[in-house]
Amino acid sequence: MTGRAVDGQIVVSSLTKAYPGFNAVDDLSFTVDPGRVTGFLGPNGAGKTTTLRMLLGLVAPTSGTATIGGAKYVDLQQPIEVVGAVLEASSAHRGRSGRNHLRAICIAAGLPLGRADEMLELVGLGAAGDRLFKGYSLGMRQRLGIAAAMLGDPSVLILDEPTNGLDPEGIRWMRDTLRDLAAEGRTVLVSSHLLSEMQTMADDVVILAKGRLVRQGSVSEVTASIAGALHIEVRTPQPDRLVDALGPLDAQVTTAADGHLLVTGATEDQVGEAAHAAGVPLHRLAAATADLEEAFLQLTHEGAEIR
Amino acid sequence: MKLLRAELFKLRTTNMWWVFALAWVLTTGIVLTVNCFNAHALLKPFAQYVSIQTHGHETVATADAAHLDHLRSDWLLGHNTITQASTIYTSGQLIGLLLACLLAIVLVTIEFQQLTATSTFLTTPRRRDVIAAKLGTALIVAGLAWLVTSAISVVVGAIFLHQQGYPTHLGTWAVDRSILLNLAAYLLWALFGTGFGTLIRNQLGATIGATILYLVGSGAAGALFTLLNTYVIKHDWVLTAQVVVPSVASTVMISPTKTFDQSPAPWVGAVVMIAWAIGSGVLGVRALRRRDIA
Repeated sequence: MTGRAVDGQIVVSSLTKAYPGFNAVDDLSFTVDPGRVTGFLGPNGAGKTTTLRMLLGLVAPTSGTATIGGAKYVDLQQPIEVVGAVLEASSAHRGRSGRNHLRAICIAAGLPLGRADEMLELVGLGAAGDRLFKGYSLGMRQRLGIAAAMLGDPSVLILDEPTNGLDPEGIRWMRDTLRDLAAEGRTVLVSSHLLSEMQTMADDVVILAKGRLVRQGSVSEVTASIAGALHIEVRTPQPDRLVDALGPLDAQVTTAADGHLLVTGATEDQVGEAAHAAGVPLHRLAAATADLEEAFLQLTHEGAEIR
Repeated sequence: MKLLRAELFKLRTTNMWWVFALAWVLTTGIVLTVNCFNAHALLKPFAQYVSIQTHGHETVATADAAHLDHLRSDWLLGHNTITQASTIYTSGQLIGLLLACLLAIVLVTIEFQQLTATSTFLTTPRRRDVIAAKLGTALIVAGLAWLVTSAISVVVGAIFLHQQGYPTHLGTWAVDRSILLNLAAYLLWALFGTGFGTLIRNQLGATIGATILYLVGSGAAGALFTLLNTYVIKHDWVLTAQVVVPSVASTVMISPTKTFDQSPAPWVGAVVMIAWAIGSGVLGVRALRRRDIA
């Protein structure tokens, strides 16, 4: 490994990008630690891509800082040996082969040309390396993007929606690749709106809405923090009597389309005891499992519209 | 240096280089043929020239007086082996210089047109260095284009002149100077194109804009400055001032004779071209450094 940053930690501090009439990113602060896959989540237009581009020196922040291993990207001497980035799948010349695309980067960065061949093999494009980029499928383009990002053997990887357009096999390949890279001690920051995918891929999440930080923490912490707000599903042959019995608990009860009740503001124990005391039979009593998707939707509810 | 190598590598790993190479060689070949035919006629005595130009239908005795005056004027301008040698050895210059400018523009704007700017600026965040490498590439390619087109024109032209019984004039300073000024023009248009492409990153807009500026700039400038001279400022310097238009400056620089009655010395044309190139380049790089790559 060459040219590693101090510790590979990404620090975003009070980062703001203002456009006329709105802030795409608004006083955003978070950190991303090495050795973990961090999911960067938010609805469309939340400011994820703008944040990543500011982190990589492609977009100038209005205020605030974003550093990688303590340095701004533009101040890194050999940036691609510190940070590998995949920002868009279509960022190669359509008339150039994948191998030559990687070789051009190697030459500009002073890396041996053999790295291009090694990385093509790593991402499974060895046989397609000499085909023109315009003949690549979306999945192949994503793989080429990963290969380009890995050319400098960087300690930090930043990926913007890398699973977009991938088939299930490609998604699994991406997940395994990113988890392996994090296991090697690298920092992996990956934005996505495929929440179920993040649940199996990420260790930590940073959730963004309207350009502001909504929540940061491990996947388990974030999902647990909203578990209390989730509903309890109850099925009974006497729903009216159960609603009366739950009255003293100050819980909110709604009736689902298939007739069962959804209770919020009370625990499973409280609902069970109230039903028992009133002599109401229960056929089902279950708390909904908090998952990342639920957490994400709840946390970003206020800022979910596209700006 | 590695950035320059990378840019040269990028150029030769797409079909762009041979498209431009083909255009350079083809235009040189076509114009060289035309120039040789013209020289063949112009270097003959006037009576034969009239016969050739009228395809044998008329002679000095039978031709209409006005037409004859027109033919005589052309013949007097071109009936000179030095002029013909200079013209033949710089064949294809008009389109060749435009191609040098367009290549430089495309080298810069293709990064945005093909969405490769992100990859390029991630590898090299210092954008000024990237533009410097592109400028170096444009100059090298323009220099090579001059070398190849000049080699074709000089070899074929010298054989033609020798076979026709005229001196080749290779070694005559006026002729050598035309060939060298042609090189200077190639380099200056490549320099100008790099600045122009950096300033206007839309590839279609930049290439069409530069082509219009190049091809119709002289005519438009001539008309505009003549109108100014006739109706607003009745001084000769107004006519001289049309040299501020790049295409006029280029013509003033490379032309062995005065381009128009009030045209300044060739070095003024060179200075104007350099000023345009540096001005657009500096403005372009300043804009690019501030621009968000989104």
